[in-house]
Amino acid sequence: MGAERLRSFLTSRRGHLAFFLAPALTLITIFYLVPLILSIYISLTPLKYWQLNRYLTDLSHPLENYYRLFYLVTHHPDIGKVVITTIVFTGLTLVVNVVGGLLLALATYLMEERFSLFYRTLWLLPRMTPIAVYSLLWYYFFHGSRFGILNSILLSLGVIHKPVWWGVDEKLLPWGAWMILVYVNGLVGVSFGMIIFYSALRSIPREQVMAARVDGATTTQLIRYVLIPSIKWHIVFVTVWELLSLLTTYAHIFLLVEWGLIDKWWGTTWALFVFNTAFTAQALDQGLAAAAATVLVAIGLVLGLITLKIMGFKELMIEPRGEL
Amino acid sequence: MNPLQRLRARRREREEPLIDVETIPRRRLTIVLAIAVGLASLPMLITYILLILTSFSNTAGMLTISDLAHYVPTIQPWIDFLEGKVEPTAGHLYTTMEILGIILNTLIVAAGVSIVVVLTSTMAGYAFSRIRFRGRKALMQLVMILHAFPGVALIIAVYALYVWSLAALPPSAWNTYAFIYVILSRASLEIPMSIWLMKGFFDKIPWEVEWAAIVDGASRIRVWREIVLPLVKPGIAALSIFAFLAGWEDFIYVWVFLKPRDIYTLATFIEEQVRNLETAYFPVVAAAGTLYLIPTIIFFITTQHLLLETYAGGMKA
Repeated sequence: MGAERLRSFLTSRRGHLAFFLAPALTLITIFYLVPLILSIYISLTPLKYWQLNRYLTDLSHPLENYYRLFYLVTHHPDIGKVVITTIVFTGLTLVVNVVGGLLLALATYLMEERFSLFYRTLWLLPRMTPIAVYSLLWYYFFHGSRFGILNSILLSLGVIHKPVWWGVDEKLLPWGAWMILVYVNGLVGVSFGMIIFYSALRSIPREQVMAARVDGATTTQLIRYVLIPSIKWHIVFVTVWELLSLLTTYAHIFLLVEWGLIDKWWGTTWALFVFNTAFTAQALDQGLAAAAATVLVAIGLVLGLITLKIMGFKELMIEPRGEL
Repeated sequence: MNPLQRLRARRREREEPLIDVETIPRRRLTIVLAIAVGLASLPMLITYILLILTSFSNTAGMLTISDLAHYVPTIQPWIDFLEGKVEPTAGHLYTTMEILGIILNTLIVAAGVSIVVVLTSTMAGYAFSRIRFRGRKALMQLVMILHAFPGVALIIAVYALYVWSLAALPPSAWNTYAFIYVILSRASLEIPMSIWLMKGFFDKIPWEVEWAAIVDGASRIRVWREIVLPLVKPGIAALSIFAFLAGWEDFIYVWVFLKPRDIYTLATFIEEQVRNLETAYFPVVAAAGTLYLIPTIIFFITTQHLLLETYAGGMKA
C-alpha cells in the first residue's frame, strides 16, 4: 500500500516537483540553512574544543563572545593587525582586480583574436589551479632563500645583494606581507573581471564601435566614450562581487601563513582569523570564531542583496514556457 | 547553393562579428598590447614552468633561472615521489601503496563531488526552468544569496554537525562517513551556482519537444530522463568537469574532515611536505604539485572554449 501511495504521489504535479527539487534542497538545508542558524547560535555559547555536550546548551552569557571579540579588536595588538590587514588587503586587491580585469578585458578586446584567446585562457589558469599548487607556486616565487625565483632574479641582476624574506622581514613589514597577499590574490581575481568585462564588451553592437571609428575616434577616445560607459553596470557588479569574495577568501592565505612565507599576523585576514580560531590547535575557540563569522555574515548579506539588485534579478527569471 | 554551403555561409555570418569588430587595421595595436600583457604574465609563466622543470631535475633544492643553463632532465623526483622517498636522508617515509592511496583519495573526492553536483543540479535546474510553482522566484533568489554566503562561517557549524553525527556511528564506519561527509558538504558549495548553470541550459531547449511527449501521456520524470537530458548533454559535460575540478582542487574541506583521520589527498600531502621543507625534498614536492596540476591542464587545453563560455555565462547568471 505504501508503494502504491508513493507511486500516485510521484505522478501528481506536486510529486514531480518534490522529486526534482528534493535532492538539492535537502543538501542546501543540511549544509547551508541549518549551519547558518547553528553558527549564529554557537556564537552565543562558550563552545570550545568541539565539546558539544558540555558547552552547547550553555546560554548563560549569550553576548560574552561579542564582548571578547570587541575587546580583542580594540586591545590586542595582533588582532588589531588582523583588522588593518583585512581593510588594506581588501581595498588594494579590489582595486587591482577591477582595474586589472578591465585592462585585460580591453586589451584582449582590442587585439587580434588569436592573441586574445591565448591570453584569456592563460589568465584563467590561476583560477583553475588547485589551491595547494597555486600556493606552492608563489611560495617558490617569493621564497626567502637565494633559490626563491624573485630573489634569484634580483640577485643576478644585482638589484639586491643578499636574499630577502619578502613576507616576514621586520624591516619590510607590514607592506612586504601585504604586497604578497595582494599579488597572489589579485592574480586569481583579475580573471573574473576580465571574463565578465570581455563578454560585456563583445555584446556592444559593433555598429557603435564602427561609427566611432568612422568619426575618427582614437583608441583612447573609443575606450573612454564608448566602451567604458557601455559596461559601467558590469563594473559595479564586479566590484561588489569581488569585495564579497575578498572578504571571505582564506584558503591561499592559510597555506602561505602556515608555510611561514608571510608574517602570521600581518598576513592574516578576518576570514582566516575565523578559521584559525575555530580549527587550529592553539585556539579551538569555536564560540569566538562563530561570533567573528557572524560579523562576516552580516556584511556578506548586505553585499549579497546589493548584488542581486544590480543584476536585475527579475529579468533572469523568465517564466517557464508552457504548463499543463 | 546546396544545403551544406548554406549552412557554412550561415555559420560564417554568425562568426564574423567575433573575428572582426574593428574596422581599422590593428596590427600595431595588437603588438603593443600583446607585449604589455605578455610582460604582466611573465612572472606567472616563469613560475609555472620552473615548478614543472624542477620536478624533472636533479637539483637538491629549488631550480633557479640560472640553473637552466646546465639543466639535465631526469625523472628521478617522480620515482622518489611514487616510492614515497620524500626526504633525501630519511629513506622511504611512505610506501608506494600509500602514495597511490593519496592519489586515489583525491580522485574519490573529485568524482564524488562531481556525481552529487550533476545529479542534484540537473534535477533542480529542470524544475526551476520548466515547472511553475509558488515560491519559485523566492527560492531561486535564496539559492543565489546562498552562493554569496561566506564559506568560512558555514564550515564551523558544518563541522559541529559532523562531530555531533559521528557520535551516533560505530568507530569502524568513521572513515567512510568522513569521505561521504566531505563529498556532500563540498558538493553543496557548488550546488547553487550549478543549479543556475543547468537552468540556463534547460531554458535554451525548445519546450515543444517535451510538450508533445507530455500530451501523449508520458510522465514529467520520464520526459526529463528520456527526452530532455540527452539534449542538455553538453551542459552536463561542462558541469561534470567543473564539479570534478572543484572537488579535485579542494583544500579546506579535506584538511578539516579527512586529515585528522590520517586520510591524505594531494592537497594535504603537499601542505605537509612544504611545512617540513627543511627536511623534505623540493623536487619531490614539485613532482606531486605537477601531478596534481595534470587534470586541470588537460581540461584546460581540451575545453578552453567551453570554459571561457561557461564561466562567462555562469558568472553572469
